[in-house]
Amino acid sequence: MSALGELGSLRGKKPAGQKKDNLAGYLFLAPWLLGLFLITIGPMVASLYLSFTDYNLIQAPQWIGLENFTRMLSDERLHNSLRVTFTYVFVSVPLQLAIALLLAVVLDRGVRGMAFYRSVFYLPSLLGSSVAIAILWRQVFGTTGLLNQVLDVFGIEGKGWISDPSTALGTLVVLNVWTFGSPMVIFLAGLRQIPTMYYEAASVDGAGVLRRFFSITLPLLTPILFFNLVLQIIHAFQSFTQAFVVSGGSGGPSDSTMFFTLYLYDRGFGNFDMGYASAMAWFLLVIIGVFTAANFFASKYWVFYDD
Amino acid sequence: MRHIPRALTALALATTLLAASACGGDSGGGSSSADGGKVTLRFTWWGSDTRTKLTQQVIDAYQKDHPNVTIKGEFGEWSGYWDKLATTVAANDAPDIIQMDEKYLREYADRGALQDLKKAEGLDTGKFEPDTLGAGEFDGGLYGLNAGINSFAVVVNPAAFKTAGVAVPDDTTWTWDDFSRIAAEITTKTGGKITGAGALGTNEAGLNLWARQNGESLWTKDGKVGVSPEKTTDFFKYILKLRDAKAIPSAEAISQDMNASLDQSAFATGKLAMSFIWSNQLVAFSKATGQQLKLLRIPSADGKAADNGSYYKGSMFWSISARSKHQKEAAEFVNYLANSTAAGDVLLAERGVPPNTEVRAAVTPKLQPADAASAKFIQDISKDLGDPSPAPPVGGGQVEKIIQRYTTEVLFGRQAPDAAAKAFLDEVNGELK
Repeated sequence: MSALGELGSLRGKKPAGQKKDNLAGYLFLAPWLLGLFLITIGPMVASLYLSFTDYNLIQAPQWIGLENFTRMLSDERLHNSLRVTFTYVFVSVPLQLAIALLLAVVLDRGVRGMAFYRSVFYLPSLLGSSVAIAILWRQVFGTTGLLNQVLDVFGIEGKGWISDPSTALGTLVVLNVWTFGSPMVIFLAGLRQIPTMYYEAASVDGAGVLRRFFSITLPLLTPILFFNLVLQIIHAFQSFTQAFVVSGGSGGPSDSTMFFTLYLYDRGFGNFDMGYASAMAWFLLVIIGVFTAANFFASKYWVFYDD
Repeated sequence: MRHIPRALTALALATTLLAASACGGDSGGGSSSADGGKVTLRFTWWGSDTRTKLTQQVIDAYQKDHPNVTIKGEFGEWSGYWDKLATTVAANDAPDIIQMDEKYLREYADRGALQDLKKAEGLDTGKFEPDTLGAGEFDGGLYGLNAGINSFAVVVNPAAFKTAGVAVPDDTTWTWDDFSRIAAEITTKTGGKITGAGALGTNEAGLNLWARQNGESLWTKDGKVGVSPEKTTDFFKYILKLRDAKAIPSAEAISQDMNASLDQSAFATGKLAMSFIWSNQLVAFSKATGQQLKLLRIPSADGKAADNGSYYKGSMFWSISARSKHQKEAAEFVNYLANSTAAGDVLLAERGVPPNTEVRAAVTPKLQPADAASAKFIQDISKDLGDPSPAPPVGGGQVEKIIQRYTTEVLFGRQAPDAAAKAFLDEVNGELK
């Protein structure tokens, strides 16, 4: 019997142990499946319901229809939190990706001890959204912090970076940019996939470093760039820990670091307005969904798939 | 190359989007457990290290006398305390005994989260000074038992005054102009090493006093905002005046201090000569600075201490969760905290002067210098007190964060005093329910 024929007979026959196999498969899936239903989908459905209610955490929720959503239209602090969040996303994500790409390209050129550098640069990504780093950030950018001490050496008078409303958000942008490690590692993997023959051919034709980067590396890397972009935008929209810890939970000074998520938290747990907070959560979901959809739509025009 | 990123993108999308709206899981679990007659109570409080040590001592002593009761202390800084309490109450996992503040008392009690202590078995309020029960009492029930009396005051670090070569003023006659002048003088004479005073407006008590000196008050008895835009504007203008005279630190330093813990605050670390505190905090600040500090009356507009609007406040309250499974044991422990001299001997006046007159008499001779000074201050101002200050209505708990924000706006020059005053009042009104 030919190999092809054997495959055909295998396909046609229903294996006796399939049911059993399925059960085992579901059992293996169970921990994740349970988690999905109990701590993701369950609370999501609950929060969708709560978003149409007035719920103060202690007493039973009261149905109020769309009131929470119409309230958002006139909530100035919510509008401010949107401004803060958008600024954060649209400043920090491009900067972060640019640095990640630059370093990936440099590391990909075969720097000695690359594994070491890769680990070192990746480290901030692991730590970036942790409370410990946010506390460290407070120290670094505080009035008597490390940054000011360094500036002092050069005779520049520092300031309270975190306590000044005009610079506080900037420190959080820097923190996010600093976590360039995870997109960098993904870029590195992408760079590895680009066939070296393109570069060789281009070199023979006399293309310089920049030309090779813009004509070969960048176009072939666009799928990876797209992936990183989508991921980091979603991630940045959801940032919470950094702003919460750096501002001491207040989103201050003067609401200048009041991210949407932080305001949501403030309404829910500070003001006992969980119905409104739930409505805000769903609004954020819509915002993220819209941006992601727009990203996918735009990708048709700039992402290049090499096959 | 083509397939991997797409698959990854889809997967990442699925997980992150799902996580977006499902904020916060349910911790579940019971609040306390009993087995074989043994009862575990959870007891939560905010405060400095000093308070935590003293409170733990009392818990240890109580457990020794009551081998069947275990008390688990849960404590933290003021700023994180309320978020944590709200989450645990929402999760039906509230601690049995809660250290409560006036700002949040109605917030929790009106929603049925707190037990009416009048119905609590084994809790006696017979020896309490009558006036001190009122603040925790409304709608015919007692939802918070006064844990100590305090009053808003100016704390002075005499060592800083000495360094600056400035005399500590007479607080029975000083005005807001004197305050500003003296504070500015200290900043100048120490070359900026020590700043004269901490800012007003980092909590709502300053504004309340300011309003009371001008015939208004932050809250009215019927639960409304009682301060006018004009007086609030004046208040912000005065803060600007302090800033411009360098009587208070820079806007950045003040904004940073708003989030600092007591032990790390500017006054505790010796950077300020004066600050505004609650009188019972004198104990913690004395420990933190290692100095013998002094309390002064709040300045007045006309130089008469009797017109400075001061009042006795319940520094904090003991409340019992309505959902506690061990009402009796919790009430007995609160009774011990409030009425036993054994507890009083340890706690002294760290939470304010004991409202139980017997405990107060018993502990007075044992007071450490700082406790004694704060107790004496409370005694001294008794003849100059104004009317009691109405408790904040539901939603009023937010006022501290709101005034901090507008004080920051004003100090950084981002909003003019009159605009900030109007926006502040609009926002506070909007929070009331």
